[in-house]
Amino acid sequence: MKIRTIKYLLKEGISNTYKNLLMSLASLAMVISSLLIFGVFLMITINLFYNYNRLESQFEIVVILETDATSFEASDIEQKIISDERVFSYKRVSKEEAFSEMKEMLEDSELITGLTPEFLYESFRIHLKDADQSEAFVEELSVMPGIKEMEFPRELLEKLGVFFRWMNVGSMFVLTLLLIISVSIISNTIKLTVYARRREIGIMKYIGANDWFIRWPFIIEGMVIGLVGAVISFILTSYGYNAIESYVNRELISGSLEVLRVKSLDNISARLLLLYVIIGTVMGAIGSIISVRKHLNV
Amino acid sequence: MIEFINVTKRYNNGVIGLNDASFRIEKGEFVFVVGPSGSGKSTLLKLILHEEVPTEGEVYVNGFNIGQMHRREIPYLRRGLGVVFQDFRLLPNKTVYENVSYAMQVVEAQPRDIRRQVPVALALVGLSKKAKAYPDQLSGGEQQRVALARALVNSPAVLLADEPTGNLDPHTSWEIMKLFDEINQRGTTVVVATHEKNIVDDMKKRVISLEYGQIIHDVQKGNYINED
Ligand SMILES: Nc1ncnc2c1ncn2[C@@H]1O[C@H](COP(=O)(O)OP(=O)(O)OP(=O)(O)O)[C@@H](O)[C@H]1O
Ligand SMILES: [Mg+2]
Repeated sequence: MKIRTIKYLLKEGISNTYKNLLMSLASLAMVISSLLIFGVFLMITINLFYNYNRLESQFEIVVILETDATSFEASDIEQKIISDERVFSYKRVSKEEAFSEMKEMLEDSELITGLTPEFLYESFRIHLKDADQSEAFVEELSVMPGIKEMEFPRELLEKLGVFFRWMNVGSMFVLTLLLIISVSIISNTIKLTVYARRREIGIMKYIGANDWFIRWPFIIEGMVIGLVGAVISFILTSYGYNAIESYVNRELISGSLEVLRVKSLDNISARLLLLYVIIGTVMGAIGSIISVRKHLNV
Repeated sequence: MIEFINVTKRYNNGVIGLNDASFRIEKGEFVFVVGPSGSGKSTLLKLILHEEVPTEGEVYVNGFNIGQMHRREIPYLRRGLGVVFQDFRLLPNKTVYENVSYAMQVVEAQPRDIRRQVPVALALVGLSKKAKAYPDQLSGGEQQRVALARALVNSPAVLLADEPTGNLDPHTSWEIMKLFDEINQRGTTVVVATHEKNIVDDMKKRVISLEYGQIIHDVQKGNYINED
């Protein structure tokens, strides 16, 4: 295809979009509502993952050393922890620190009288980047001498892991389903506009236009509508979402109750816009191709 | 140029559109196809355009074998054929100029050729002044002229017309037919299906007469009804 033909087809597609304004607006409304529904599910999914990760990062592995562990053994273990890539952060808790923590917890009650730091254990509290690695991490560390025992919420992690995997599959399924439904709704709307212009397509065929020459303006039309729809639904979604986010995070959960949080969109809004634009234009293009196909057999 | 060899067209519902028709049209000829309603005139033209394919026999048009063509070749067949219909079939969203230039865009013509050829075609049909008008702002005769300009702008070897004057008054019909004749004088092969007895009788061209899908007469310099 020649450059000037590409230019011509682009111009055709764009001018057709506003020459058939009413139909374009109908398709646009479909794109926007589809993307809004898609957006709601996407936001729910994003927040499920976000909160899962937050929860997960709060888990820690506690490595408790023998009372008689030497300082060599302790620093060997620390060295091993430092050099491990999976470790996000760790804290070394000395006997003294453990003692003062305990004192605080028991509020200087009588239970503590006669107790000295010497009776307590030195420990490491470790946060991994990915809590799923806990099992393997603990396994490897356990060969080190001087360790009394290690604690981590094995069962809870397993359950969460299973939940996470199902959530992963489930959300992908729902989002894909939504996209398929959207494409079919949009292509049905475009079908109406194509049907209204089937005579036009017939005329083009009589003049000797090949299929792509007829198809491209429709595809471009679909892409323009998809693009505009994507930008509008992105703006609507982020406005609505930010309102909900500030309400939930600032009013409902003020500081102390930090179990669930709504993720801020600030960091991902550029990527989100890109995603909307891609989905919108691709949906528009596919919708057009599907709708024009039938009318090309003249 | 155009050749039908024992061509039968049977539609899906069993109706015979054309029955064992054979004829040849040479380059530069002017041919009327006449006959009562339902006699197969449109069927004959549709076969030339590959809008239908023959059930039996063979149709050759500009070297294409209509019955054996690949889908992809159809646009190239049609680019060699200018077509005019009873209902004009203009693109309603495009101006007169754009309707005509569209036919050149389709064949990826050079922009400077488009700028040169379109005014020539519009001048030929006498519509230079209406270039910016939209089809619904034109009379029937004017719309048919636009269709004719569009059919001619790529200088096709063959011009096909299916009842081009069916929606026009007698005076306008004459003008359109004279245009066809003029175009034919310039070397284009012209095939016109029509009911216009007076015009056919006056123009003294080759006449192919159909009845029930069969060719009953094929006469040079003939009349609408040949009772010889
Ligand atoms: N698509 C079709 N399906 C079935 N039968 C058809 C189809 N097109 C035409 N026919 C039949 O084929 C026969 C010839 O039709 P055709 O349109 O060629 O006639 P015509 O000579 O052009 O008539 P008119 O002068 O009314 O335009 C008619 O009996 C018609 O009913
Ligand atoms: Mg007919």
